[in-house]
Amino acid sequence: MTVQAILAITVFVIAYVFIATEKIPRVAAALGGAALMLVIGATGADEAFFAEETGIDWNVIFLLLGMMIIIGVLRQTGVFEFLAIWAAKRARAKPYRVMVMLVLITAVASAALDNVTTVLLVAPVTLLICERLGTNPVPYLLAEVMASNIGGAATLIGDPPNIIIASRADLSFNDFLVNMAPIVVLLLAVYVVMCRFLFRKSFVYHADRAERVMALQEREAITDPVLLWRSLGVLVLVLAGFVAHSALHVEPSIVAMLGAGLLVAVSGLTSGKYLGDVEWETLVFFAGLFIMVGSLVNVGVIGQLGEVATEAVGDNYFAAATGLLFGSAVLSGIVDNIPYVATMAPLVAGLVASSGGSAQGGALWWALALGADLGGNATAVGASANVVVTGIAARNGHPISFWTFTKYGIVVTVVTVLLSWPYLWLRYYL
Amino acid sequence: MHASELAEVVPTVTRRTTALEAARVIAEHRLSGLIVADDAGIPVAVVPGTQVLKLFVPRYVREDPSLAHVYDEAGADELCAALEDKTVAELFDIDEIKTQSLPSVLPEDTLVEIAAVMVDKHSPLVVVRDRDGTYSGAITFSRAMAAIATAAARRQPTTDTGASGASDGSDA
Repeated sequence: MTVQAILAITVFVIAYVFIATEKIPRVAAALGGAALMLVIGATGADEAFFAEETGIDWNVIFLLLGMMIIIGVLRQTGVFEFLAIWAAKRARAKPYRVMVMLVLITAVASAALDNVTTVLLVAPVTLLICERLGTNPVPYLLAEVMASNIGGAATLIGDPPNIIIASRADLSFNDFLVNMAPIVVLLLAVYVVMCRFLFRKSFVYHADRAERVMALQEREAITDPVLLWRSLGVLVLVLAGFVAHSALHVEPSIVAMLGAGLLVAVSGLTSGKYLGDVEWETLVFFAGLFIMVGSLVNVGVIGQLGEVATEAVGDNYFAAATGLLFGSAVLSGIVDNIPYVATMAPLVAGLVASSGGSAQGGALWWALALGADLGGNATAVGASANVVVTGIAARNGHPISFWTFTKYGIVVTVVTVLLSWPYLWLRYYL
Repeated sequence: MHASELAEVVPTVTRRTTALEAARVIAEHRLSGLIVADDAGIPVAVVPGTQVLKLFVPRYVREDPSLAHVYDEAGADELCAALEDKTVAELFDIDEIKTQSLPSVLPEDTLVEIAAVMVDKHSPLVVVRDRDGTYSGAITFSRAMAAIATAAARRQPTTDTGASGASDGSDA
């Protein structure tokens, strides 16, 4: 191993520790790590900015940007608030039914949009409904964020790790639908039943409090019906574009950016409105992360690790998938699943390539996606959506401690990952 | 005109004052903000009136303003009633309210200095304190504006003659 490779590993590990422990803002850690990689010569301008294998994955960045703009416009319409209150009223304000409705809305919206923004939109209205019900909102927020991580696993755009996997593995939107959605539907059904037991103490029904929910006027939340219909029209077009993107030979990032552009044009909103929800920090964090991981690829570290992994796996891809599923679940609980997947993707790509493109080798991507997405539920720092919800809860006077989250998260993670294992075995290795 | 001439006695509240009582103080004295004092009566912060409203509007509604539309009248009344259970201290837990630096001027400060502090601190109320920190009153936004209008009117004849000093006066 060269001195440069050792230096690159050192920079990577230090930056990773800072990202995991959040001793400094994760954007600063990723950008600092990327800058040091450039300084030590582990990467250069060409490799960092223009190379597909070792540089910033612009497909990921622009797919995220496009979806953030679309959601930024959509949230101006009040549709999420309408849906959540409408659902709570349809549930006759009975606590468990309300939770189930909110869980299902969150899961479906997470699959169609992305889980981080979905929880950002659903959490405030959940707080309102719980305040009306006179109940502690923490169980509801926990149920929603875990549903968002499960639901988001179903599609290419549902969870940031999936976007990275899709880009690195050249997988289509339909590949995710066909391979991930079936198990996600099953997991969601099991999860809804689990909620009944996990949060059983919060389901106390008071008729007078239920009346306060029934008095909410959900239609008033729709502030701009014209914009709502235009936004929904564009969203349908974008989702159709995702489904057809491989047939049309158009990258998902292009579909998202075209949708964003169209929506901006028809919405008539000012830039402050439609760019207001773009999480620039997240996009910059991704860029820094890609440069760091690309540097490891560039200096040959990932290649060497891939060789070791390929030798260890041999042709036993089921063992590799098992290791990836459970290992990813554990590690994603400890560190945010985004940097984890960004790091693992080149390694898994090596393993898949060594399988000669077999279905068994290709299934390693689904093991990685399931492990990382579902493992994100284990702790409060496992996924970006968790961080968003715990932040909203704390700001509204309902702090969720790390251990409170973990107490429920571990159970949900263990059950969902254990159920995913036979799915992988039955579908790809039997 | 100096700050000491514009200062008037403005009632203060403490952190323990209930939000309901604070609302009454603002309404009765037609104030544009609240002066929060410590137990010794020394002002420690000025909270603009619009920020005091944050005690009434739940945080999740502030984060998602479209939720304000879904309350019916009874629901809105319930939020008002909840003011009785809240105190001014909760304002200091709201991170976006800058209550740390007290907007204050010295008794001899001019209208420009008073206006500059109001602009800089985004505050409709400015506390007048002596050099030793003694509180001698406060200047409200409306009082400052009235003084500015009076000063401008006094300079009006000069403007009519086209003297350059007029524009200086209006800028001030």
